[in-house]
Amino acid sequence: MPESSLLAGFIAPLEVHTNPQSLLWMFPLLLSIAIIYKATKLRVLFWKRFIREVVVLFITISLFMIAVGVGLNVLVWYLTG
Amino acid sequence: MKPRSPTEHAFFMVTVGLLAWAIPGAGHFLIGERRRAIIIFLTIALTFATGLYVGSIGVIDPVNARPWYIAQIMTSPLVGVLANVTRSGQYAVYGRAADVGQIYTSIAGMLNLLCILSAVYMAYQGRGEVIGTEEDEHA
Repeated sequence: MPESSLLAGFIAPLEVHTNPQSLLWMFPLLLSIAIIYKATKLRVLFWKRFIREVVVLFITISLFMIAVGVGLNVLVWYLTG
Repeated sequence: MKPRSPTEHAFFMVTVGLLAWAIPGAGHFLIGERRRAIIIFLTIALTFATGLYVGSIGVIDPVNARPWYIAQIMTSPLVGVLANVTRSGQYAVYGRAADVGQIYTSIAGMLNLLCILSAVYMAYQGRGEVIGTEEDEHA
């Protein structure tokens, strides 16, 4: 039954491997943060402006996180290589 | 409609804060910010549900992961009900999925804390209130 398997998903963890792809789980969370931040920050909420600002913030945070990841990777490679 | 007295205003702000904690977005809904309320409710509920789906409800652990639990319960007092279910430790939680689940549910709680503060501040500024007494003067 699809319903029961959906509910079963809440009582048993998904299989998430410890590999670089697991870092992709960061992006939905970044989107949530961008949405909530802009929803509380904007004085007046117009849909078009809201969506544009959320997209800009999401891309900004994502690029920053990628830059931090690359920077730390280079640092580890330099220190241990 | 009469403007609120300072006592009524304080009571209104407390009500907004408690409602915002009970149901994400409900504080904004009460002060008339319907769009914000819908966005906040959907985003926080989806983030929290995703965390539970990935890590299982075992990620809510008030015994062995108390600091995470404090962040998680900011989502809603209903998390406390879930904590009573998971307190026995019978729900499996392990590996990277547990990390992802814990981070998602805790961030959802922290985001709701931001929304509670935002709703209370908007209520403090007088949103959701009738401004002025023109209606009364002409009545």
